[in-house]
Amino acid sequence: MTLPHLRFRPLRPAVASDGPSRLDLLLTITTPSAPTVPDHGRQQRPPLNLALVIDRSGSMSGTKLSYARKAARFLAGELTSRDRLAIVTFDNDVKVVVPSTPVADPQPFINAINTIHSGSCTALFDGWLVGATQVAEHLDPTHMNRVLLLSDGQANEGLTDHAQIAAKVAGLTRRGISTSAFGLGVDFDEDLMGAMAAAGDGTLAHIETPSQLADLYASELQGLATTCGRRVSVGLRARHGATVLDLLNDLKSTSAGNHQLPNLRAGQEINVGLQLELPAWSPNQEILSVRLAWDAPGNSERLSLVEVLRLPVLASEDLDQLDTDAEVAEQLALLAANRERRRVIEELDRGDHSTASTSLMHMRDSLMSMPGSVTISRELDLLNQKLLLLKSDPKLSRKRLRRESLRSNTTVWESNDDQA
Amino acid sequence: MVKVSTPADAHYGLEDLLLAAGELLGEEISSRTVRLYATQGLIDRPGKAGRSAVYGHRHLLQLVLVRALARRGLSLSAIAPLCALDDVELEQQLEQLDGVGAAATAPSSLASSSALDYLRDLQSSEDSTADDLSASTDLPASAAASIHLSGSAASLASRLGKAQPFSRMLGMLSDPLSSQVRAERPSSGSRTGGSSREASSRWRRYTLAPGIEVHVRESVSLPPAGPRREQWLNSLLARFKQLIHDPSG
Repeated sequence: MTLPHLRFRPLRPAVASDGPSRLDLLLTITTPSAPTVPDHGRQQRPPLNLALVIDRSGSMSGTKLSYARKAARFLAGELTSRDRLAIVTFDNDVKVVVPSTPVADPQPFINAINTIHSGSCTALFDGWLVGATQVAEHLDPTHMNRVLLLSDGQANEGLTDHAQIAAKVAGLTRRGISTSAFGLGVDFDEDLMGAMAAAGDGTLAHIETPSQLADLYASELQGLATTCGRRVSVGLRARHGATVLDLLNDLKSTSAGNHQLPNLRAGQEINVGLQLELPAWSPNQEILSVRLAWDAPGNSERLSLVEVLRLPVLASEDLDQLDTDAEVAEQLALLAANRERRRVIEELDRGDHSTASTSLMHMRDSLMSMPGSVTISRELDLLNQKLLLLKSDPKLSRKRLRRESLRSNTTVWESNDDQA
Repeated sequence: MVKVSTPADAHYGLEDLLLAAGELLGEEISSRTVRLYATQGLIDRPGKAGRSAVYGHRHLLQLVLVRALARRGLSLSAIAPLCALDDVELEQQLEQLDGVGAAATAPSSLASSSALDYLRDLQSSEDSTADDLSASTDLPASAAASIHLSGSAASLASRLGKAQPFSRMLGMLSDPLSSQVRAERPSSGSRTGGSSREASSRWRRYTLAPGIEVHVRESVSLPPAGPRREQWLNSLLARFKQLIHDPSG
């Protein structure tokens, strides 16, 4: 089994012995890549139990729906007889195109997919509900059970309140079924899709051109195949008078006062940024204990690991002389920039475009002053794009800002085009 | 799950307590730990039967709660007040835990079987919302119809109906096995093992705790050790819980 490990990476490798000090800290959770066995990867992954829920409202007609069908055919072709797939469409009405069935032969799915045509309104929640029911009827905790929701519009039929929908999606996540939300085009509701993917412990994707759909589904299948931990939570306990001042990722709290992290995927890294405040510290005293817990596919018990942080102590003036860890500084800056994006969105929503613009420029300037790594220049590119879009297409700028802001706490799909 | 493995009047020795708690927590508990907690007042003093200590349901709840919270980084002084709660509240504390402690109270098989119930509840609240909102939508009908389109699990669940929500756990068990458990239930109290009507159906007896036995027909093949067996055991435990709660189910 692939187990994650957790590393403490302080910005400065010590704390003060003679007075209070601030500690900037990165928790890096790394899930090692599974050993690569050529041609066996497909057999090793857990079986999938999926429902693909497709928006077929009027706005999807034409190219979008044609690509949605094409991508659905691709998905059916990639699955095997160990996997189940249901296909559900919704407009103002919900239709089970194919009830949950093992994919022994993709042809019947393909035939059914070809009958999908566009309709009228967008009963998004009802579509999700029916798709989720298809998965629930065959729920197996050793499988990966997930609803894939594809929509290009705003929910305008049935339940439409974001918070309520997200709460319902979260309830299903606790019962073993996750939800990914894929927004297509320029009119979908990025706040709703983001909230559903975050609450659903799934993937958020924004697809601007429908031709990216097949890539997205391929990546989603890959992601499901390499998921080693679901419903991941991190618990933080500061010791001996230390306090956690800030958690930069703005993670959602779980009912037990821990924080929800995205899925653990083989070969991936999750960074959590923290700021702590410490009184004068004694040597060898525990500063923080961190407990990571997750559900592993095929394992009926929740797994966990605990790591404890201790750091050397120094006099305050020596502490200030210490070099900072450049990589840590960079990751903390990226997390801060994701958070800043949320503020920019609020400014945009108030109609205050000039403040939003200024905020973006401040973010850019502060990143410019950092060592110019590849990561930083890519982030600068993203910010420049948003600045330009703010003038030409503020709606699209907001969509992308929302997606990027969620990188701190949700699995967010990035197409190869974005990365290039 | 805690109440399942130990009916409220269960009594057992230190070894049994360590075993039961160890399984729930997924870690080994030493007798020293138990004695330490008892002297610190975190778990009640055990009863006495002759020279040996006797533990019960409440001790197990306390022990699991202390370990689960301690592993989450809480200090024993923070945990102590919780240990004085009554049994029902102790169980509630355990249920609220997310993590290994939660594995004790809500294994994934239990959570899984509730997904369908949960969605049905959402569905029915949707129905009423939709009715309130407009007469034009026929969503509820079409959505409900979709449920009947699919396989046997749904029809089984709908036959069982809402009155017996735990019955849907049947879906977690293979059909022959669950009906066998069912058929044996009325006589399980008096059965002493050994023979049955058919010569081919011999039984294996497992003693879990004084006064608590499990009988398994030899023709039943156990899943291989590992996750599948864990899951199988969890589903049996869930079924057992149901039977204790609602003997008619």
